[in-house]
Amino acid sequence: MNTQRAHSSEFRLLVTPLVLFLLVFLGFPAIVNLIYSISDVSFETLRQPRITGLSNFAAVWNDSAFWQASWFSLRFGVLTALLECGLGLFLAIFLSPLIERRSWLMAILMLPLMVAPALVGLMYRLVLHEFAGPVPYYLWAWFGASFSFLGPTSAFWTLIVVETLQWTPFALLLFYMAYRAIPTEIVEASAMDGARRWHLLWFIELPLMAPTIVVALLIRFIDGFRVFDNVYVLTGSGPGGSTASLSIYIYEAFFKQGAIGKAVAASVILFAVSFAVLYGLNLIASRRKGAVK
Amino acid sequence: MTFSKIRKGGLLAAAIASLLASPAFAKVTVLGWPGGPEETALRAATDIYNAKPDVAENDKVELLFFNRDGFWDKLQADLAAGSKAFDVNLLATYSIGRYAPFMEPVELSGEAASVYGDSVLKTMQYEGKQFGVPTDLSLHFMYYRKDLIEALMKDDVAKAKYAEISEKHLGKKLQPKSPDEWTWDDYAATALYFTQAVNPDSPTRYGTVLQLKNLLFNMMVFQSLPRAYGGNWMDDAGKITVNSDAYRKGLETYKLLYDAGATPRDSLSYEFAEANAAYTSGQVAAMMQWNAAASDLTSKEKSPAVADVTDTVAPPAGPEGRFTHIHGLGFGLNKNAENKAGAQAFIKWLSSKEAALTYAKNNGAPALTPEVVAEVAKDRPDLVKLGEFASKYGYVMNGGTSAKALSVYELQAKEFTGYWSGQQSLDDALANTEKGMAELLK
Repeated sequence: MNTQRAHSSEFRLLVTPLVLFLLVFLGFPAIVNLIYSISDVSFETLRQPRITGLSNFAAVWNDSAFWQASWFSLRFGVLTALLECGLGLFLAIFLSPLIERRSWLMAILMLPLMVAPALVGLMYRLVLHEFAGPVPYYLWAWFGASFSFLGPTSAFWTLIVVETLQWTPFALLLFYMAYRAIPTEIVEASAMDGARRWHLLWFIELPLMAPTIVVALLIRFIDGFRVFDNVYVLTGSGPGGSTASLSIYIYEAFFKQGAIGKAVAASVILFAVSFAVLYGLNLIASRRKGAVK
Repeated sequence: MTFSKIRKGGLLAAAIASLLASPAFAKVTVLGWPGGPEETALRAATDIYNAKPDVAENDKVELLFFNRDGFWDKLQADLAAGSKAFDVNLLATYSIGRYAPFMEPVELSGEAASVYGDSVLKTMQYEGKQFGVPTDLSLHFMYYRKDLIEALMKDDVAKAKYAEISEKHLGKKLQPKSPDEWTWDDYAATALYFTQAVNPDSPTRYGTVLQLKNLLFNMMVFQSLPRAYGGNWMDDAGKITVNSDAYRKGLETYKLLYDAGATPRDSLSYEFAEANAAYTSGQVAAMMQWNAAASDLTSKEKSPAVADVTDTVAPPAGPEGRFTHIHGLGFGLNKNAENKAGAQAFIKWLSSKEAALTYAKNNGAPALTPEVVAEVAKDRPDLVKLGEFASKYGYVMNGGTSAKALSVYELQAKEFTGYWSGQQSLDDALANTEKGMAELLK
């Protein structure tokens, strides 16, 4: 009984810092955010916000730039997640025998992950510059013209390519680990039963990798949806706000326009939608799990 | 490991962390603009100030620098939070109104008016009060290739082609002129003439390079065009006047040049560095650019293709005259400064002739009166033009130092680049800008 009490006391002592941390660093900002989202507040009145109701939410809702940014983030998140995971899956399976024999290859393939996204943006500003970058230089030398990589019609796709090039190695790493974890007995048994390579992939390997694929898609979608650094550095959210993501919209409303209430209201909407989507996905996953049992 | 050991370890770590987190024991802390000539100049001036025998040990200056990226936003957050981490902080013309609530007016030296002149001192004033000492001034030059212009002026066949191109694109026959006599139409005609997409015989690929990225600084470069046609942000009664013929003319001129291919197609992502890279390649005939680019563009080491053939003049003229947008960087007093007296003393000295000359000799860009700049003209000939252009052509838009001035530039950047990129009409761009500015400057 005494041992149990001692354990309970130590448990409380050990958990207290975590609880305090969550209260201070998550709970307090969340409450302040909620207050700011229904207030008329500026940098001068941060400590004395004036409650005004839902006008900030109405301003966000009626702002075409908010919907433009939402649409950009959604498209960007979905497309980059699909491309990165598709490419990562292909490379993981295709390169698996090679990486198995030469494991140092994996370290090289992971290099793009080591570069800060803002730096990637800066790097591509140089690489794609018509007079300084190697890509336009060779295009000009070979075809006598240079493609506009960051023009009104191409900026979105250039950003997609830049994001995909940087983050495909992350998907590759996850898929390679999942692929290597498939029990060899199952693969060998299938082969002995006469399964062809395509059937093996489609009916054995991919289903076994499915949980990893779903997780990778989700992580990459979230990362793509909240993209900020490289887009902001490369295009400055332009031209005309056409490459503004939701994160950039919130940043610009907060710092550039000083519309703190509006920026926070947008972040609250974003939080609510994200929570609903994640909760829905969790619910679906739980039901499927229950059905399988 | 027992629980008591963990607790002791935790206490020790907390003690070390609190020691490391203690503020530096500086006397007067000054937050400067990092990584450029401004930092070099400020360091030199500070060394001289600190070496003075009458500066008390407790009033010696220590400089602080952090990254340029997001500098103004971080400064805004620090000031709003009542930070005491610095006594003196950097200030810019377009952000005075934004920071004024967290700063205090300053007292300048008795020499300040004769060193800088009233128009330059005004770049650091807000609601009639002096909030800073103007250490660096930024304005715009028209950089051009004098070899190309001279060749054009001597060639009758080229002149005829020039007239033909100007008539086709601008609706009037123009003749080549010396850049010092250019109107904005002459600039546009020259840019078109030196564009291979318009004139396949052009020696350069592009006639000009425009900085069209969705960025507030690019709007500063643009403003001088509508201003030359009488454009302003608002009239004396406070009515927003941006939806005007002057802005329409400016926006249409840029659009014409972009659509004709007179500037690189990726100009919509160009800012200072990209424009310089394009110009130094030798494939651009003329461009509007910040005065800060002068030393690089005329340096044989940095710009071998164009250094010897580049010259500068003030921006082209319009019906209302010739104008160059000016804004200053300077230093002001944090309202929450811990050593206010020491900080004020440093600011006062910084506005003296001695400090201004030290600053100028060490790569700074102060706009000095003709009498003062004469003392450094041999070492810094560019400062002569800077001072001359600032006093003759310099302007600040009505509302350009208000609390929301930065937001106005941001708004214009978004709406105007939207028009130039073809995402919205000119009418929509101007209407949206007018509506947004009315909200910001009410």
